[in-house]
Order: sequence, then C-alpha cells, then structure tokens
Amino acid sequence: MSDFDSELDASGLNCPLPILRAKKAIAGLEAGQTLRIIATDPGSVKDFEAFCKQTGNELLSSGEEGGKFVFMIKKS
Amino acid sequence: MNTRLSGPERRQSILKASQQLFADKGFHGVSIDEIARAVNVSPAILYRHFDSKQALYDTVLQELSSQRESYVDMVVNSDANFEEVLTGMTEVFIRSIDENPNLLRIEMQSLLNGDPASSEFFENRWKSFADYINFSLNERLGYDVADREIKILSASLMFQGMVREALLQKYLQPKDRLVDVSLNELSHELVTLFLKAVGIHDSQISQKAP
Repeated sequence: MSDFDSELDASGLNCPLPILRAKKAIAGLEAGQTLRIIATDPGSVKDFEAFCKQTGNELLSSGEEGGKFVFMIKKS
Repeated sequence: MNTRLSGPERRQSILKASQQLFADKGFHGVSIDEIARAVNVSPAILYRHFDSKQALYDTVLQELSSQRESYVDMVVNSDANFEEVLTGMTEVFIRSIDENPNLLRIEMQSLLNGDPASSEFFENRWKSFADYINFSLNERLGYDVADREIKILSASLMFQGMVREALLQKYLQPKDRLVDVSLNELSHELVTLFLKAVGIHDSQISQKAP
C-alpha cells in the first residue's frame, strides 16, 4: 500500500500548471487524504508553500529526490 | 563622495545603476567610468565589487533572466478555467514589465547579442505561457485533428507574440502609442482574440482547465 492517496506528476511543466493541476487533484480528495506531487520547476518549492498557506491544506513534506522536487500535501 | 553604504548596499546600488544604464544604452554603450559616476564612487571602488564590466553585465543579466513571476494568488483566487487563468497570467506578466521595463529591454538585448541568457528569459518567464497553452489545447483538441502538434505550437507562439508586441509598443517605443489603453484592458482583449482564433467559443470558455 502506498503512503499517499493520489499522485500527480508535473515534471517539465512551469508554474502555474503544477499548482493548477494540484488544485484540481485536491478538489477530488476527501479531507485528510494526501496528494504526492512531483515537479521539476525550481519555482514550485516556493509556490507550493504559498499555495498551502493560502488554501489551508497542509504541506506535510517538501524535498528533493533524484533531481526532482517532491511534495506531500494533506487536504484539510 | 558617498562612503556611508555597507559593502552589500554598495553592491546593490552599483547593480541598480548599471542595470538602468545597460538597459538604456546596451553593453557597449556604457563605460565603467559612467557607472562609477552614476553611483558616485571611484572606478577603483567599483572594481572591488566586480572584476570587469563583463562581470557586472553578467550579474545584471543573471538577476533579470532568473526572475520568475508567482501565479499562486491568481490560481487560488480563480475558478481555474482557461480564459481566467490566461488572463490572470497575462496580467501578472504585464505588471512585472510595468514595474521594471528593464526586464524587456535587457531580454531584447540578450536576444540580439545571442547571449545564452536569452534562453533563461524563456525558461523562467515565457515558458509558463508556452506550457499552459500547450497543455490546455492538448486536452481540448481532438486527436483526429490534422497537424495537431504544429497547430498547438503555432497557437502558443501566437499568444506569446501578441503579448510581446503589446509590451514592445508600450515600453520600448520612445512615444507610447497605447497611452489611452490600460494594460488590463489590453490583456483582456488579447486573450479574447486568442480564444476566438483557436476556436474556443464563449460557450466553451467556462469549461474547466487542467
């Protein structure tokens, strides 16, 4: 079993696409469920921090794995 | 002579003055002496911060070409349909040029000079439009459409071209020909024209974008 409920690969895409697609993916989740996002845009680190702050969803983790940025967001 | 600034403050004031001079006159039109005069220091002090005029120009280029716009506010506060997002992105982008037209001037110079920074200007700034239009049209356009890829590419170029031309007219012409048009009006009109051109009609505009 994976430790997230849904996954979004936004590799190669510049902002605002990763944020837009995450917004849509989160809309399809139940409260408490998690979304894992993979992105390559370096701007996405700051963007997902701001996105979670503004939407009230929780940014569980934000890190780098194999040259990509990986975020885990829990729907509030 | 002004000696009250700290090292980092002095470096910033040199960068600010040289950005303006390079944007107005180009790399070859500006001398180190002129930059030194503009910040009220001797060339010797300037060389303590930057080894050469080229190093100074490279730093100015790097600072501008790496500037990214944040579209988070716009995404959070919108319904995220294609028209709204494209309008919002265009507004954010135009505002960044309005706040600092040197971004546009230096980008144009980097293109003319064949400087690698011109790719950075694309990667960090224009690629947001290219990606968004590409992705959205890919979702909308039927797979049986002939020459699908070239159609999507052309649409993306068309939009970037419209925005760029409006910005050139507004900020690089010695006389602003668009003085009676507000930037927001302009961006709405451009998006509307674009949607018509790519065959997205009013009834489809409210469809959800990715």
